[in-house]
Order: sequence, then C-alpha cells, then structure tokens
Amino acid sequence: MQRTPAGETVIVPRNFKLLEELEGSEKGHGDMAISYGLVDPGDTFLREWNGGILGPPGTYHDGRFYELRITCTDNYPAEPPTVKFISKINMTCVDPRSGLVQHSRLSATKNWNRNLGIEQILTGLRREMCSDANRRLRQPAEGLTF
Amino acid sequence: MSGGSLPRRIVKETQRLIADPVAGISATPYADNLRYFAVAIEGPSDSCYEEGVFQLELFLPADYPMAPPKVRFLTKIYHPNVDKLGRICLDILKEKWSPALQIRTVLLSIQALMSAPNPDDPLDNTVADVWKNDEAKALETAREFTKNFAAKKE
Repeated sequence: MQRTPAGETVIVPRNFKLLEELEGSEKGHGDMAISYGLVDPGDTFLREWNGGILGPPGTYHDGRFYELRITCTDNYPAEPPTVKFISKINMTCVDPRSGLVQHSRLSATKNWNRNLGIEQILTGLRREMCSDANRRLRQPAEGLTF
Repeated sequence: MSGGSLPRRIVKETQRLIADPVAGISATPYADNLRYFAVAIEGPSDSCYEEGVFQLELFLPADYPMAPPKVRFLTKIYHPNVDKLGRICLDILKEKWSPALQIRTVLLSIQALMSAPNPDDPLDNTVADVWKNDEAKALETAREFTKNFAAKKE
C-alpha cells in the first residue's frame, strides 16, 4: 500500500504484487538463507510456490534445509498465504500432524498486512527457529516429510 | 478500496477510454480499484491471433504517469515477446516510456506487437527460435493457441 502526495491510497492488485515478489525472489537474497519460486513457471495466477529455509546456525536446525509449500489464494494479500512444511520439523507454530504453519502463532502472519509477503513469512519462520521456544527443540531425523 | 482522490489525469483517460474506445480494444476499471483495469484485445485480422479475444490486466502504479503502466496477458498466447506469465517485452513499457504516452497508446502498441511479432528482441527464447527458424510452424502453433485459449465466447 502506498500513499500519493494527493492522499490517495494506492492498492497494488494481487497478481501484480505477486509478480513483484517473483522478481524479488529471482534477484536472490544475499546469503540464500531463504529462497522461493513458482512451482510451475507458467502459473498465470501465481498460486503455488516452493519455499526453502536454511536452518540458522547455533540452533538444532543448523545445517538443515527445510522445504515448504506456499499457496496464495484469490484473497491474497488481503489474507496471508497457506504455508506448509514439506520437511518434517518440530516447531511451536507448526501443526505436528500436517506441517501447516499456524497463522496465530507466527508474528509475520498474526500481524499480517498487505505490505508483507512470502519473503517476510519465510524470514519470520527462520527467526522463529532461533527463539527460546524453538532453538533447542528436539528435531526428527533429517530427510523425513509430513 | 482506493481512498482519497484519483489523479485527474487518470480520470480523464478512463472517461475517454470508455466514451471513445479504440477499435478492437476494451479497458474497464474495477469498481474497487480504479487504477486496475480489465482489458480485452481482439486479435488483429490477418494475424495468427485473428478470431481470438485476449484478456489482459493493467495497473497504474502510484507514480504513474512518471512511471509506465504495468500490463500483462492473462490469456495464454504464443508470441516471441510475451513470456509464460504473460509479461510483455515492449520498449515503451520500459526505457522508452514517456509521461506523454497514455493507457490508449500502450494498448495500441500491444495490438501492433500482435500484428508484428519481433523475434529479434525476444522475451521467450524458445518461441523466438521457432519463429526465426520455422516461421510457418510458429504461426501454426500461434493459431492453435488462439483457438484453444482465446476463443470468443458466444
């Protein structure tokens, strides 16, 4: 959301916002701690995304690469996307049976607004891996999936 | 919801698009976002897109008209200057943009690009290669795409 000098609030429509996010992801993120891209490069409505998080050092997640699936519904970005871990993980904001991220338990999605995006969710999840509640949580064997 | 006042320039452009539309092109703003337009362009006659109607979307960013509109195809189209996501390679949408241009000129340029694909400045290399090496096959594929994805609804 952007405000013009005339006081008009400009809303970037869903598809154009997701195209911007895609262009951002293609530029990469310095250390590559997080990454994301379209599952199908020809997905006109940019619904299904793959995500990746590199476990942060100094935690039990260190050295692991977590795969996620992100789904942007028609209501995105009015509401946050569905985010699901493919790789098995033990985390306070992740449903232990399905791997679904619980929106109410992650600050990026709990305090969601349309200026946020996939990048902020992945970065928020990685930050959460470093929190006191998650840093030293016992983890399932590497390579398992939900 | 777009709050505040829409710039007069955009209001004028919209009024004229509706009152005096370009042949073969329609552009209608969405009621809940007056900077966002549903666009339909008829495939130019004598082109491989003839008989098709192509849906596009267009958005006027906050810094329009200092910055160009954002526009892309929603209907699948086989064209060397359009990529898989419908993004269009057109100089006036990038470095050749000038605030003197309008939504109308942009849509006319896209229509012209459909009449005259430019495989030497491609966005989709695979499509451009076919276009350069076997134009007959490229045109046939483009016609097939038009029939499959852009057929006029009765």
